[in-house]
Amino acid sequence: MQENFLLPLIIALPLLGFVLLGLFGKRFGEPAAGWLASLLVLGSFLLGLFLLLQGGAKWTLAEWLPGIPFSLNLDNLSGVMLMVVAGVGFLIHVWAIGYMHGDPGYSRFFSYFNLFIAAMLVLVLGDSLPVVFIGWEGVGLASYLLIGFWYQERVNADSARKAFIVNRIGDLGFLLAMGLLWSMFGTLSISELVEKVEAGGYSFTTLTLAGFFLLIGAIGKSAQVPLMVWLPDAMAGPTPVSALIHAATMVTAGVYLLVRHAFILHGDGFLAGLIVAIGLLTAFYGALCSLGQWDIKRIVAYTTLSQLGFMFVAVGVGAYWVAIFHIVTHAFFKALMFMTSGSVIHALGGEQDVRQMGGMQKYLPATHLHGLVAAFASGGLVPLAGFWSKDAILAYSFEFGPWLWALMLLASVLAALYSIRWYVLVFWGDYRGKAHPHESPAVMLWPNHILMGGALGVGFIGLPYVIDYKNFIEPFLTKAIGDFPHEKLPVVTEWVLIIISAVVAIAALWWGFRFFQQKMPAWYERFQTAALQGFYADAVYNALLVNPAKGLAELLFGGDRGLLSGFASLGSLMGGLGALLARLETGALRFYLAGLLLALVLLVGWGVLR
Amino acid sequence: MIWLIASALLFSIGAYGALTRRTAILMFLSIELMLNAAALSLISFSRLSGSLDAQVVVLFIIAIAAAEVAVGLGLIVAIFRRRETTSVDELRQLRG
Repeated sequence: MQENFLLPLIIALPLLGFVLLGLFGKRFGEPAAGWLASLLVLGSFLLGLFLLLQGGAKWTLAEWLPGIPFSLNLDNLSGVMLMVVAGVGFLIHVWAIGYMHGDPGYSRFFSYFNLFIAAMLVLVLGDSLPVVFIGWEGVGLASYLLIGFWYQERVNADSARKAFIVNRIGDLGFLLAMGLLWSMFGTLSISELVEKVEAGGYSFTTLTLAGFFLLIGAIGKSAQVPLMVWLPDAMAGPTPVSALIHAATMVTAGVYLLVRHAFILHGDGFLAGLIVAIGLLTAFYGALCSLGQWDIKRIVAYTTLSQLGFMFVAVGVGAYWVAIFHIVTHAFFKALMFMTSGSVIHALGGEQDVRQMGGMQKYLPATHLHGLVAAFASGGLVPLAGFWSKDAILAYSFEFGPWLWALMLLASVLAALYSIRWYVLVFWGDYRGKAHPHESPAVMLWPNHILMGGALGVGFIGLPYVIDYKNFIEPFLTKAIGDFPHEKLPVVTEWVLIIISAVVAIAALWWGFRFFQQKMPAWYERFQTAALQGFYADAVYNALLVNPAKGLAELLFGGDRGLLSGFASLGSLMGGLGALLARLETGALRFYLAGLLLALVLLVGWGVLR
Repeated sequence: MIWLIASALLFSIGAYGALTRRTAILMFLSIELMLNAAALSLISFSRLSGSLDAQVVVLFIIAIAAAEVAVGLGLIVAIFRRRETTSVDELRQLRG
């Protein structure tokens, strides 16, 4: 791996797009702005691919902050993420050209989109933690801007603020982790930290604490329990935003951060247990909530939560490459799922309620195919992408403990159910709405075709070892993550697990396919009422945190008001005194003169008598 | 010593005149009286102490008073031209 000046160019390209479109966006006009943004991202992708094929690259600016260089590092891990971010990002950019057609903020949208890509690439490529943090905050900013893209409506702006504020908790964790690592090792460069952690000579408890803070950061960004509340509301943004930021890339940044710091997490029983617990909770919470939603985008948002929970479990059980593998497959099928939803919304003229959908297979044949593949990949049907990555997570969970495997299997049953529920409600049955659905233009279909290919085939880079003894992605990634050897499951067990998960997924998909077509039984309706509210997580947070904080703010505001009115009355007192004295200004010359003489007499008298 | 008493007398008359007269001209005259009372007391102090310094100051006062009279009278004439009166009680615009 060598220094390469082309590396910062990967980031500079979309940044250039942000600046150009931000300053002169209106001059580019409608399709040109979108194409410019897309091609710049494609440029980043190709450049990244070129450097990755050369075996990676480094770039360092020695004196950035005192003692901290600005260093970028393209190794296999960040390379894979780069491929996902720029590759899937490019497809979503192209799709958005069609989806955002006619929006008054067309060029503004693409300028924000390019800003997001640039920030995400900084996050992914950064080798020094402050650089990563810049990207981390940058994607947060872009996410805020894009959730509140249609800011004229208050609810959108509120959602944007909610996302930003909840993320702040995670950012605090990241900052604390940085401070702790700096005080322990005196460096914030990840590649140097790896060596220092290996060398030893520090307190393991403190390192655990640093890992814990990193975990808090990851929880915030990846919307894990208990900081998951912002992600469903983030769907207030345009659909391409949900597909790119809140499904494929940004929310996986937390998982990426944990994998990057696998050398800190690995072998730490407390952290592993915590991460597994959080991931499991999120997987179940997201899945159950998704089953109760009516808004098509919220359905998919909660499925994203659930899949992020899967990734966390993968990190917790030490399957770091599997977590990244799942990020890759998830990026394909979840982006496809979102963009299919977006195509349907587009076809129905902005309708988002699945109760007003149904029967889309007749009207939108191509989109129906995309939706079918997305649902099957997300539900874990053999041999689609989602199956292989989920199966790898299940296998590692089994190594961690058969109970965890059983729970994860249950979670994947739920995953199959919510995927097929989404599919059935949108594409099957009779059309329940009143709009006239029309198929999307080619500029929206082609990105979906490509993503569909990915959702079908990308799983084959990470087959389990019993089928493909040396698959592609595991050795590729462990070169960068670090090799943490583990006992491989016996061949028979592995086969049994694969078959069980395949059969269970097919059974769940089939059962769900039948179940969601009929009228819902009463117990499901009751469950649905609770799930629709996200099991009242928002209400609980409002009661426990938001309202007390608001009360405190009111109290302080009252105090402020008292203090200010005190100052105001002091001011009016002084004013009154001034008015009193002003009455001496009569304008009568002889009055002034008398005053002068009186003062003279008094002064002289005082001088004599003293 | 007698000159000091004369000076005090002169100052008092001037002060009284400045306070009671309403015409700007007479007020001005009274102020001049007060000024000259001050000059007179300076001269008498100079005789008492035997130094000539104060007499020099008085020469200056006389010179300046001449200029001041020119300016002051000019002002009064200007006011009279504008307002057809020189009564100070009617000139009350000079207030903040």
